[in-house]
Amino acid sequence: MARYLLGRIGQAMAVLAVTFTAAFLLLQVLPGDAIMIKFMSPEMGLSADQIAEIRAAYGADLPIWEQYLRTVANFLTGNFGYSIQAGVPVSQQLATNLPPTLLLASLGFIVAVILTVALASLSNMTGMGWLRSALQSLPSLFISVPVFWLGIMLIQIFSFQLGLVSVISPGPVERLILPVATLAIPISAPLAQILMRNIDEVLTQPFVAVACAKGASRGWVLWRHVARNAVLPTLTIAGVLFGELLAGAVVTEAVYGLNGLGGLTYQAVGNHDTAVLQAIVVVSALAFVTINLIVDLLYPVLDPRLSRKIGATA
Amino acid sequence: MSLSRFVKLGAVLALGMPFSVGVALAQDPVTKGGILIYLEQQSHTNLYPPAGGFYPNSGVLNQITDKLTYQNPKTLEIEPWIAESWTVNAKATEYVFKIRPGVTFSDGAPLDAAAVAKNFDTYGLGNKELKHPVSEVITNYKGSEVIDPLTVKFFFTKPSVGFLQGTSVIGSGLVSLKTLAMPDEALGDATKIIGSGPFVVTSEVLGRELTMTARKDYKWGPAKLAHQGPPNLDGIKYVITPEDSVRIGALLAGQAQVIRQVQAYDEKQVQAKNFLIYAPPTRGVNNSVVFRPDNALVADLKVRQALLHATNAKEIVATLFSANYPQAKSIIASTAQGYVDLSAKLTFDPVLAAKLLDEAGWTVGPKGVRQKDGKELVLTAYESPPQPQNKETLQLVAQQWAKLGVKLSVLAGDAGSRVADSLDPLKTPVAPAMVGRADPDVIRSQYYPTTRNVLLQKGGVSTRVQTFSDDKLNGLLEAIAAETDPAKRMALVGDVQAYVIDQAYAIPIFEEPQAFAASPRLKDFTFEAVGRPSFYAAWLAPK
Repeated sequence: MARYLLGRIGQAMAVLAVTFTAAFLLLQVLPGDAIMIKFMSPEMGLSADQIAEIRAAYGADLPIWEQYLRTVANFLTGNFGYSIQAGVPVSQQLATNLPPTLLLASLGFIVAVILTVALASLSNMTGMGWLRSALQSLPSLFISVPVFWLGIMLIQIFSFQLGLVSVISPGPVERLILPVATLAIPISAPLAQILMRNIDEVLTQPFVAVACAKGASRGWVLWRHVARNAVLPTLTIAGVLFGELLAGAVVTEAVYGLNGLGGLTYQAVGNHDTAVLQAIVVVSALAFVTINLIVDLLYPVLDPRLSRKIGATA
Repeated sequence: MSLSRFVKLGAVLALGMPFSVGVALAQDPVTKGGILIYLEQQSHTNLYPPAGGFYPNSGVLNQITDKLTYQNPKTLEIEPWIAESWTVNAKATEYVFKIRPGVTFSDGAPLDAAAVAKNFDTYGLGNKELKHPVSEVITNYKGSEVIDPLTVKFFFTKPSVGFLQGTSVIGSGLVSLKTLAMPDEALGDATKIIGSGPFVVTSEVLGRELTMTARKDYKWGPAKLAHQGPPNLDGIKYVITPEDSVRIGALLAGQAQVIRQVQAYDEKQVQAKNFLIYAPPTRGVNNSVVFRPDNALVADLKVRQALLHATNAKEIVATLFSANYPQAKSIIASTAQGYVDLSAKLTFDPVLAAKLLDEAGWTVGPKGVRQKDGKELVLTAYESPPQPQNKETLQLVAQQWAKLGVKLSVLAGDAGSRVADSLDPLKTPVAPAMVGRADPDVIRSQYYPTTRNVLLQKGGVSTRVQTFSDDKLNGLLEAIAAETDPAKRMALVGDVQAYVIDQAYAIPIFEEPQAFAASPRLKDFTFEAVGRPSFYAAWLAPK
């Protein structure tokens, strides 16, 4: 297991290094850079000489390989540089934007999982056919609702019309209620769809018939036998979706005026703010790699058959 | 809402309400205290004062910094503020300012002659080590001399008449030496911008909100303002709310008292609830479409004139905007200094336009697009996101030109491509342009090759320009910067307006305001000379 872990961590580091380099190169290929966008924009009214001086001061006139090595060295020492457009250290931007994103994503994800489980179990427990099909068609509805529309509707109804929550100067908990709902609803949709389909598939397996024949109740069969088998593919998708949530809920953030990685990325892309993008790419890659690692490690816990497979290959 | 009330409101707004509320309606007693909630569309960027032109930046900087002089937004006269008095030599190459005693920055440091000198040395010359760029409004700056603790003298290499007004703009806001000692890339943190203004930034969550607190010891507002002493409000909370409908909804629901950036199509919604629209003018170069004559397609005067007469600015204003966006009658706003009404030269005349294109040799081809020597008259422009409905404006211009067989492609593009292509006349023969500043020097800033250079003349930042240069235009612009006699200077301003239109370098479309909406509870909400908000005298009436 330790060797397996070490191997996986090594893999993760390699992924990070490749991502870092690819991001650096891609950002170089784009036309223009942050310094050009800021200082050559006509609003600054600067002369060619003045711009050349500024480029030199930022080290933007160095050869690419030298800029690359400098960036690597800086990253290794924890120096992410400055955002040229925003005029603050990237580390400060991350410190301001990462925690709210983590909180929002985690809460949104948890609520989505609760919704998913509730939908899947209700639709399987109910004896009423019409309710079952109504519940099963909910995910399709959730997935087709545009996030910005949902967000604006929730604000209009719950904040502006009913006055239940404030969006402008909310308390710490109040601030999260509507955004979490906005995030959770569309995220729960694919999860619920996959979970429901898998439950249906597992239900056709012979061991379910055996369990039922032994006199197990519907709920017992569902929880003890079916769920455990049906949850694996859902977990994989959940990992990917959570990664996407971290990488940014741009629309939700914009609608609610929340700060977070999504908005930060959007602005940095618009301004070619290389230092910021480089840091975001590394942070996002790190998040994806970590989540995948956690998902992979969870598989054998849920399904003992997989742990033997790991032992054999590692 | 009844029709009569609507008409009344419209009439009040038309009479320039934003500038007269304090005097005309100040019957009720001023209520002190309270926190104003202000919703801003975008986060501020770097707050180095010369970068204060960007609307979100000026909204913050104007509350926290004072300027050497105050430009009266009604008369456009320069009045005392931090400078009690000043003298200028006959050639406008030397300026001496007497500083008001007792002024302090919010970090306790004195705002004296030495601090003022250091501010203008930075803005006038830049700071290579700290990467501070030179300010756009200060030209020909040579240096400063501290004569005594409250007297400072500035020297210029050439006559610089615009400097006095240049000391009044947000871009010349005075900041503490501590702020100026920070590298440029660290000035995006509003709490680090230490000014002497009526408000102080006490906390900020980057990209989300910032809190300003009133300075209770503030007693150095512009000497001629009715309001004196500390601000009426206890503080201001700026909240970034990017979504238009959320800003308006929050205002109407009472969760905020003032919002910036209200599109013309949302104005009625706000007024229908008896909320107020403020649309102060930016008094500079009008929102226009300019040509880059280095590109062969628009090098011919007749082609440019044809497109000028093919553009129906009236239709654009009527379709996309409101009464707060007056149709342009010159390249500068009718509220700007030295404005001359040139509407007779700006007529919409498609027949004349077609005739001019025919004369220039551009004939309608099989696909309906005009061509000459096998080349089609297809032009490109990038939209400018900060300008109100700029994409829609350009698209409407494109429709108007299309009727004459001229194609205009409007591109969005990322900021990198936009800036790079905008410097290349072959890629952008047409560009949108506007800038606000209440001094004729603004025309020079806009057109001169070494500054904004909107026509892309040779000698500017762009390396893509082959030959285009207009010595006559540049001569006029230099003369505006140097002419010390006000009457002669205004005559030159008239000449340059006529010249730009005669050469059809620019097609002015509308006079750009900066639009705000506010609760009727907000009183004495005022604006500086180019439409940036000031909350110094503002107060909130009880609910």
